[in-house]
Amino acid sequence: MCMRCLEMSRRSLLIGGGVAAAALTTGVAEARIRPADMVPLVGPGFKPTDRDEIGLWHDMDRVEEEVSSSNLLIEDPKITGYLRDIIGTVGGPAAKDFRIYLAHIPDFNAMMFPTGFAVVFSGLLLRMRNEAQLAGVIAHESGHFLRRHMIRSWRDQRRKTDIFSVGAMLAGIGGAGVGAYLGDYVQLAQLGTILSLFKYSREMEAEADAMGARLIAQAGYAPMEMSTIWQQLIGEEQASARYRGKHRQHGSIFDTHPSDDARMADLKADAAELTVPGKVYDNHRDRYLATIGPIRQMLLDDQVKLNDPGASEYLIQTLAQDGWNGLLRFYEGEIWRLRNRHALGDDVRAAQSYAAAVVYPDAPADAWRWHGISLLKEGRTGEAKAAFSRYLQMKPDAPDAAWVRSTID
Amino acid sequence: MKRNFALLAAALGLSACSSLGGEGFGYSDYSLVRVHDVSVGDGSLIVAAPRPWNRHRPELFEDVRAVEDWTLDGPLLDGISFVSGLESGHFLIRQRKTADQQVPKFRAEMTPPEIAAMLESLYRVRGGAVDFRTISLQPRPFLGTNGFQLDYEHLDDDELWRRGRAVGTVIDNRLYLILLDAAKSHYYDATLPDFESIVASARLRT
Amino acid sequence: MRKWGSALGLAACITLSACVQTRQYADVQFTPPEGDYNLLVLRPDVMVGSLTTGGMTEPRADWTDEARTNIIAALKAQQAARGGKLTIIEHRNELPGVSTQELADVERLNFVVDESIVQHKYLGDYLPTKYRKGLDWTLGADAVKLGQKTGYDYALFLHAEDQVASTGRIALGVLGLAGCFVGFCAPNVGGAEQLDYASLVDLKTGEVVWFNVVDAASQVPGIKFGDLRTPEGAAQMVERLLGRMKPGREAVKGRVDTAEGPH
Repeated sequence: MCMRCLEMSRRSLLIGGGVAAAALTTGVAEARIRPADMVPLVGPGFKPTDRDEIGLWHDMDRVEEEVSSSNLLIEDPKITGYLRDIIGTVGGPAAKDFRIYLAHIPDFNAMMFPTGFAVVFSGLLLRMRNEAQLAGVIAHESGHFLRRHMIRSWRDQRRKTDIFSVGAMLAGIGGAGVGAYLGDYVQLAQLGTILSLFKYSREMEAEADAMGARLIAQAGYAPMEMSTIWQQLIGEEQASARYRGKHRQHGSIFDTHPSDDARMADLKADAAELTVPGKVYDNHRDRYLATIGPIRQMLLDDQVKLNDPGASEYLIQTLAQDGWNGLLRFYEGEIWRLRNRHALGDDVRAAQSYAAAVVYPDAPADAWRWHGISLLKEGRTGEAKAAFSRYLQMKPDAPDAAWVRSTID
Repeated sequence: MKRNFALLAAALGLSACSSLGGEGFGYSDYSLVRVHDVSVGDGSLIVAAPRPWNRHRPELFEDVRAVEDWTLDGPLLDGISFVSGLESGHFLIRQRKTADQQVPKFRAEMTPPEIAAMLESLYRVRGGAVDFRTISLQPRPFLGTNGFQLDYEHLDDDELWRRGRAVGTVIDNRLYLILLDAAKSHYYDATLPDFESIVASARLRT
Repeated sequence: MRKWGSALGLAACITLSACVQTRQYADVQFTPPEGDYNLLVLRPDVMVGSLTTGGMTEPRADWTDEARTNIIAALKAQQAARGGKLTIIEHRNELPGVSTQELADVERLNFVVDESIVQHKYLGDYLPTKYRKGLDWTLGADAVKLGQKTGYDYALFLHAEDQVASTGRIALGVLGLAGCFVGFCAPNVGGAEQLDYASLVDLKTGEVVWFNVVDAASQVPGIKFGDLRTPEGAAQMVERLLGRMKPGREAVKGRVDTAEGPH
């Protein structure tokens, strides 16, 4: 159901592991699934007729009710409208039936629920570099729906757990999904418990990849962009792992799973098949950047406050490929300030970044405040006061204005 | 933190038809705080509550000695925490060195914005807060020194907004802080007067 | 800072026979509503599913619908016998004059309050300031506002759940009286598990005036009782949950002191 169900999420949103993980380690290379074979298995206005699927939809309706009134949603109409337009374009036959919600959660993920509502996490918007990539993720999720993966996976799980029932009992898997319901309200931040019931086999993920590539090609986006997404993601994961010096652990995305590289390779091949020679593809990067521009600072803020320096640094470096600016230098500083390991010279690095940030005209007000604090600690009181004054000039109603003023006086 | 209500399904007790337990059937983690001077945390800070509160018993391997927690209606709804004499270079909470996300250490040279940032990290990394907003940071005298007051609110993974106020200062390279955190709906307003009274009563043991 | 530190302890569940336990707490001054009152039942959370052999619960929409219908009918009948007028709303947008967001906020606060009640009243982690004081929790001004906007006197939050073993499960159940696991006790073993709780909020004051939990566990496969899919089973559950509402201590004292002498 979700793009990265194979991993343990920072916030335990996706609870991986358990019985389902066993399904992913067959290690046998499978033949690539061809996009041309990926025909939608549902049409417009689909409603289930099988008893177990009706039951599933029933429960999912309640989940959707919770999600749609969650406090965690970003409801900026320009952005949600933009997402709806995209899913309307790449949703295949079900395009008009889909609902799509944007959750204020800094992870890179998107998920589609059996009843046709999708949840996209805001972390995705920080990592997608253009509209084609965003469409690719949404198309991949639509693919799960159009190929009826959820009900297949549910039935699969059921069959498997019938066989390994003792193991399931010990793992408490029977309780995992319903446990969330016992709590009376399914909360957005605990979706992972339900999602753990919908583990896709590698084959299903491959189907969704192929279907997604096909859908975006049909919509006029360059199919190659889907492969690029994985390239970027792998880069981020490597940076994060390298930073921590961690080894690949079981259940971690940092496993040398053939799947990530295989997915990238398969998608390259898919792109080769689907790309029309000579056609000019537009990835609508400008439109994408313009739409998410207003929330970009918030996205960076959320990411940096996860205190995952490896991943955050990688993302900022990636964004900086288009040129450094005050915003990026500022958040670079924030990464080190938040890590706060004196022995490694974090305060010095942070100070340098803040000093670099305030040179740019787009430096956010907060850059001036932290610049001021760095100067204060270096004993450069006069300069510090100047920086604080500049901060107050830009943001006279800042939450900490009272404290800053008291420092100047 | 998963708030799994399914705990109800586990019946307590030892007899064949076990009762659902109840008050007095278990060992409570709480003891009564009466209305007089008490020392909190590592004992260097003395406060007085305006009415009885409940104090969480310290757990040997869980708690930092300098930190103590009280509650009136249960920690999910309200709580006052005391930090007394936390030394520079120490953490507010116990955490594994290898934890993916870390709450930074307290350092004596931290300015109030940095202490505020440390608290924000605490909520985001350990408290399950999915959103955190600083409402205000202002100077406030505390324990006879120039301290600060931080007002904030946060949205947690149970979809509930909570509000908080922290009053603190650094004396002799140690952090002293009293913090109120409660559900924004009803509980914060209901316990704020208690908090202010406790802060007003606070003094260092001489 | 405590809320994310505490470990909520659980004990193994080793009941061997059919056993119903219910324990209710009431505000010390609570008198069960009688006569002319308006009761709002908020989004009753009803689920009936089939336990597969593997221990998964397969939600059964048809069973759930039956159960929900039965519970609602039983509620109406039961409250009518007391003289109350009952309105049940199923979705957050069904309450005129109240936005989805407002209702969601009240429900979420109620959930956290209910969790706290369970933790500190039922699971033994009692709070000394509330010890033996009946029920001392409130939803505050937001609930009062809800009452004012809608004109209801009480709000009932209800959760009912039932798992019925499909035939495969019964065979396995005998082998598996291994105990209970975090968050889930009987459903991994045995026949039917029914877990229901209800909280009653007085919308004039916002206070939670009554709370009850019914944990009806049949550990021996093949014994089912209180099956929510039948009208009798639902009526039984409602009766267990709400029918035996006991007044609070002060209210009882009040009664005892009336002219008619002790009751």
